[in-house]
Amino acid sequence: MTSSAAKPKDSHVLRILVIARHAFTQLVRMKVFYFLAIFAVIVIASNFFDLPQHEGPEAVGVNVLRSIKSWSLGTMTLFSVVLSIVATALLLPKDVEDRTLYTILAKPVPRFDYLAGKLLGVLFLVFVSMALMDLLMTLVLQIRTSAVLQQQIHMGQQLGWGPEEIARLKQETLAQGSTWSLQAGVLAVFIRSSIIAALALLISTFSTSTLFTTIISFLVYFIGHFQADVRDAFLHSESGGQGPVARAFALLLSLLLPDFSLFNVIDSVIEGQIFPLPMLEKLMALGLFYAVLYTVCSWFIFAKKEF
Amino acid sequence: MAELTPAVEIRDLVKDFKTSFRRQPLRAVDGVSIRIMPGEVYGLIGPNGSGKSTTMKALLGLVAPSSGSCSIFGKDSLQVDSRQDVGFLPENPYFYKHLTGAETLRFYGKLCGLGGKALTARVAELLALVDLEEAKDRRIGGYSKGMLQRIGLAQALVQEPRLVILDEPTAGVDPIGSRQIRDLIFKLREHGITVFLCSHLLEQVQEVCDQVGIIFRGKMVREGRLEDLIAIEDQTEIILKDASPELIAQITALAGTSLIRTGKPRTTLERLFLRETLGNDS
Amino acid sequence: MKGWQKILIVIALLLSAGALRLPYEAALTQDLRQAGLLAQPLPIGTREHIGQTSSAVALGGLRTLVATFFNLRAFTAFTEQRWDDVAETYDTIVDLAPHTTYYWETGSWHMAYNAAPYYREQPGLSPLRKRYEWRNSILKGRAFLERGIRNNPRDWELYSNLGFMLSDPNKVRAFSSPAEAFSAAAEAYRIAADSGTVLPIIRRTQLYALARVPGREAEALALAEKLYAERLKNRSPTLLCLLVVLGTHQGVVQDPAKRAVELFGDEAKAYKALGYYWRDQTNFFPMDGIATAIRTLEGRLSIAPEKSILLEKFSPSAGTDEWFH
Repeated sequence: MTSSAAKPKDSHVLRILVIARHAFTQLVRMKVFYFLAIFAVIVIASNFFDLPQHEGPEAVGVNVLRSIKSWSLGTMTLFSVVLSIVATALLLPKDVEDRTLYTILAKPVPRFDYLAGKLLGVLFLVFVSMALMDLLMTLVLQIRTSAVLQQQIHMGQQLGWGPEEIARLKQETLAQGSTWSLQAGVLAVFIRSSIIAALALLISTFSTSTLFTTIISFLVYFIGHFQADVRDAFLHSESGGQGPVARAFALLLSLLLPDFSLFNVIDSVIEGQIFPLPMLEKLMALGLFYAVLYTVCSWFIFAKKEF
Repeated sequence: MAELTPAVEIRDLVKDFKTSFRRQPLRAVDGVSIRIMPGEVYGLIGPNGSGKSTTMKALLGLVAPSSGSCSIFGKDSLQVDSRQDVGFLPENPYFYKHLTGAETLRFYGKLCGLGGKALTARVAELLALVDLEEAKDRRIGGYSKGMLQRIGLAQALVQEPRLVILDEPTAGVDPIGSRQIRDLIFKLREHGITVFLCSHLLEQVQEVCDQVGIIFRGKMVREGRLEDLIAIEDQTEIILKDASPELIAQITALAGTSLIRTGKPRTTLERLFLRETLGNDS
Repeated sequence: MKGWQKILIVIALLLSAGALRLPYEAALTQDLRQAGLLAQPLPIGTREHIGQTSSAVALGGLRTLVATFFNLRAFTAFTEQRWDDVAETYDTIVDLAPHTTYYWETGSWHMAYNAAPYYREQPGLSPLRKRYEWRNSILKGRAFLERGIRNNPRDWELYSNLGFMLSDPNKVRAFSSPAEAFSAAAEAYRIAADSGTVLPIIRRTQLYALARVPGREAEALALAEKLYAERLKNRSPTLLCLLVVLGTHQGVVQDPAKRAVELFGDEAKAYKALGYYWRDQTNFFPMDGIATAIRTLEGRLSIAPEKSILLEKFSPSAGTDEWFH
């Protein structure tokens, strides 16, 4: 055996990246991921054609663009939430079950690096998948928007509208197509799934089964959409009819659950609203806050766990 | 000569496991002390459930001792950097099935901080050492048991540790593979690497180990240098009681060249083991 | 540290982190609402809110598709005249797609315009029962449309629809009182017209509804004069007649026939228009001075007294007892 030239360097970031990349390849090679991805791609690509979802009262004229956006972002949401929860929920139990965890922790790998790496791996995967879906959606939108635009201009000309009105019509139609605000909306979907992935990581550190983690994570995701209402009820409870127990309960829920209803901005973006950059930055800061918080809590529980 | 830091120092290790709320905790390891000096090959033997695995896990920081301490080359096991110097081959190792042999070694190497050309060279070296060069691009999912053990050993050695811990290294491996592993352990010893192994296959332990410890129900019942504990088998023993020197001289003359040695009789490791654990007398 | 102690510490950590971020999230919500990115809280009930949010979370972008399928189901129920199923299905549909005008319109249309006459025509029901079901359906239609307005406070089309329903002479008697109905109709039309994005006729229909509310004739007259002055197209026969009627009621018009001829240009046109307007009395239009004007004009146009319009008989008005048999 040769003697090593120098002591290997001890970098947390590098180690985390190694584990992240490894988790990424592990998940990508799972069949479940393929099925999910293919499903999502099919749904988004279906918007190329005229299908029943493009008929109906929502899909007249410019509204078809709204319908496409709604479908695509809805699929992205479904995909990213399911993947975030399921992938994170299975990573730790799988390592424990396969006993590959022993070999990793027997190396000089700090437990925090291990957790952070796994989470980052899932987030890489979600990000890459969503980027691809976003690309597809944008392509579809561009094609459809120009088709609708032609339709609208033709109609406007038939109605005898002047060039000014037609320019305004064009602007309005383009605002419903693929815009930077829409991309911000996609980013918001990603931020939301990062929060839920970090939460699933936390739950998986003390849960013993993938199924339990998955179910609880979905529950929290669902209830989190009502957190804003509970918070409002607590902060502005004019109705004195609420007993102290109810108030305490409302407070507890408001403090523990993340506020997922903030991400309803995505619906507004679909309607064509502008998403200013400062707002997006605030959402990103919030997402980062949650991710770090949950990872630290996960580490706290995981650090002294025995195997 | 300066005091060498022991490769492994386990002092009065006690580990209790909680079973359910009401019952008494299960004492898996009860006051075990082991000291292995650098360069030695130590074998820990004992029946199933005697606390071998728990002791090893405590040494690796996978479980925390209820009391007592473990250290590797002076560094406490609960610190992460104590693991820089140790490589571990678990029992029935599983590795990520979706990786090839070479990718697995690269992964573990990177975890230890290796990289670049040094890592590539090291991986090639290890693959040659454990004789897996033809299978290096095959997925681990397609490896046989013996190949798994060997890649496991390679993984344990990736960062050139000074201590190697092997849990049942030859369990379930065919005699040929078994022999290969044994040869590898010899090679390790030649290079001055400390080996701490545990096994059921007492023959093999007898072949490679310098020191042996017998653990039973969480307690170390017998420990010492192998030579001191066992004897060579293929001789006939005539056990005399209270023989006089003249009698011995007569027998010596009678036996002639077939006489090997006179002295106090010794037993085999297997008999010793059974005596200590089940109380059968030979 | 024991397992449960660890979990307790983590919960404490989460709670304190929650206390930190709560004001941040509340402030962010406000900011987003102001930027138009988050919807203002709507005056809808808790159950409705929970239903909409649940479907939003569970189905996401698929909501519209599910709504479309339910719409088909509702259509089938409609063709088979299962009105309770229609109502229920539309309740589900608007939970899924609360911001699609079409569903609110169609749902209320089925109730008020299809179910109501159906019950009126049902052979097996007693007149009392017929009246009850007829009235109930119309009220349901109104409630549904009003719910739609609560969910979409800026949807002018819904306001127009409401105004139309409430001033429909075939339905007015279903509501608590015609005065209340026309008053509400006028208000709905007013909101729609104030938006500036609807056609000018809406403003006129506001006037027509307002004119039929006893006690607000002064308001109506002012509005009529304003519309008259605004543009030529506003000067519909009804509006001109209303100028005569309301003017007479308020006492500013002494000679209704003269005023009518002034507005219409000649006696024949005035007589024709007033004749049509006279027949509208079954639709609650005020008739101050019309009879006088018609008699005067019939005299001037030499129309025989037996052929007078004033002698015509009217069929039973919708919603009255004779109407149900």
